[in-house]
Amino acid sequence: MSAPFAGTRVLDLSAHAAQLPHALAVAMAGRLLADLGATVVRPDAPGDPLRALPPLLPDGASATARFLLRGRVAGDGPFAAAMGDAAALEGTDAPIRLRVSTFGPGEDPPTSEARLMALSGMLAATGGHPLGGHQPSYATGLAGFTALAALLRAGRPEVADVSLFDTCCWLNWKAAASVLLLGSAAGTRDEWHTLPAADGHVALVYMAKDWPALRDLVGDPRLHEPRFATQASRGAHLAELDSVLAPWFAGRTRAEITAAAQARRIPIGPVLSPRELLADRQHRARGFLAPDGMPRLPLLWDGAAAPWSAADAA
Amino acid sequence: MPPDAPLHGIRVVDLGWLTAGAASATLLLDLGAEVVKVEGPGALDPFRDWVGADPGTDWWNRSPFFLFTNRGKRSVCLDLKDPRGQAALFRLLEGADVLVENYRRGVLASFGLAPATLRARFPRLVIASISSQGEDGPERDMVSFGSTLEATAGLAAQTGPEGQPLITGRNINYPDQVVCLFAAGAIIAALARRDATGEGTHLDLSQRELTAFLLGETFIAAAAGVPEAPRPAPETAFRDGPALAAAPEFQSGTAILRDPAGQPAKGVPWRFGGHAHVLAAGCAKLGADNRAVLGAAGVPAAELDALEAAGVLATAPRRKPAP
Repeated sequence: MSAPFAGTRVLDLSAHAAQLPHALAVAMAGRLLADLGATVVRPDAPGDPLRALPPLLPDGASATARFLLRGRVAGDGPFAAAMGDAAALEGTDAPIRLRVSTFGPGEDPPTSEARLMALSGMLAATGGHPLGGHQPSYATGLAGFTALAALLRAGRPEVADVSLFDTCCWLNWKAAASVLLLGSAAGTRDEWHTLPAADGHVALVYMAKDWPALRDLVGDPRLHEPRFATQASRGAHLAELDSVLAPWFAGRTRAEITAAAQARRIPIGPVLSPRELLADRQHRARGFLAPDGMPRLPLLWDGAAAPWSAADAA
Repeated sequence: MPPDAPLHGIRVVDLGWLTAGAASATLLLDLGAEVVKVEGPGALDPFRDWVGADPGTDWWNRSPFFLFTNRGKRSVCLDLKDPRGQAALFRLLEGADVLVENYRRGVLASFGLAPATLRARFPRLVIASISSQGEDGPERDMVSFGSTLEATAGLAAQTGPEGQPLITGRNINYPDQVVCLFAAGAIIAALARRDATGEGTHLDLSQRELTAFLLGETFIAAAAGVPEAPRPAPETAFRDGPALAAAPEFQSGTAILRDPAGQPAKGVPWRFGGHAHVLAAGCAKLGADNRAVLGAAGVPAAELDALEAAGVLATAPRRKPAP
């Protein structure tokens, strides 16, 4: 059983990145390649941006570094590929290179994840609140991984550039596409949002076709009024709609709401905390989180995680 | 696609819907693969009538978001619930390297196309199943859209003020976007492994797991009992859609490109060799490539005639647009 990138040596220059988002993106790509069998070497550097990054574990180590840097090994070249920011890649002679930038090749003004989400319009979806974790950087890492995987498989010497900004805009395509294609901005207020339940929150998510089922589930006669009859009219009366829906949700637990909604095939689900998810039955059944919280790659092969690994087969 | 594109020669059959499935296949196309999108006359990609279709027109060929997402693919419209349609699909899969699908779990199996069946029949095929919860587990059949998974994966609880979790909602549906960036690379990894072993595989991609993976450090910290950090203050200045569309760095970027007719179309999150990607084709009409694609796969012309006469092969849907 051969791992996809067995025998492929990749140089991870995330410790040498001048900016944190670049470092996180490169380290994410490195984690994915390491999990897929590549030999990923990450030389240390003074001022490594990841080593002291919160959250910090009781032993003083960064949980972020532990997550991203799993599977790195010590070693020397030659390397099939190198990944880093533009400055770190200078002087490397790997034939395939993944270059992470802020705005595109050679455009690396200082930035932050919050600023990337603001500039790309992602924050319009959350009223200015940044998404949890390191989404701009990690998504850029996914894009870089895919570009690098394609070049590695083809054995094609090339520089692949991924930009943090372009990746965020790619994720948020509907915002600009609505303007360019429909001539109108997408609605800023959204029928989809969280609602308080008796023991937390649920995500209220539904399509126009789900409305009759949701209306009947909640059962308030006011929901039959014309102001709630169409998607457009519900959008125009969102606060009123919420005030009618809210008591039904507030009086039930997340589990009760989810079971009742799912029985009618409405895609409502509970807001779960990381602590709750450590004991989640779906994750347990699929072996997704280790007891120390370390996630496996979110990918199974003919039903098995990393079937090329002896440990996994045992 | 130039012959030196990384995935030149790779053939993809795309049964993907909306973003998660269809845009994963689009990324493979942009890396050089040939992609045939297969829909059924009774099973259109719901993106074809996502925003206000006009029933008096060929609305299925006019949906802006569908055209945006599926530019450059060939289109086949084939009834996979009909045994004759399945036989034609099998001819297509004999020459294919990758199958992408994101139907509701159990749908493929319900018409005799379970991944295990396909694996046995096409041992070199890489089958990528993109789903909400994964192929198994007690919550396999839980109905979710992208933003539902933000809640159940832990992202919503980490977003927004303490005690007021937020989801990205209809306009981003974050898990549907990020899964494409990962799925395309996972499929390439499976092809790399096939290069060495000759064996295809069935890839099981759970969007809920991927969304949680992108919060990996959070679970490691929670397992160690580390208290959650205080939330960052919200940003007060951020762009909306019109401001983004007008921004110079957006316009010179790669997230949205133009097809040869000048229409805005889905772009790519990378550049190779310092050059922006160039889109070679716009979106084909439904079923435009029925005869060319299936003929090249070895279906005789007389059989194609019979499939058309029976409505198994079509260029229009059987249903009206969603109200």
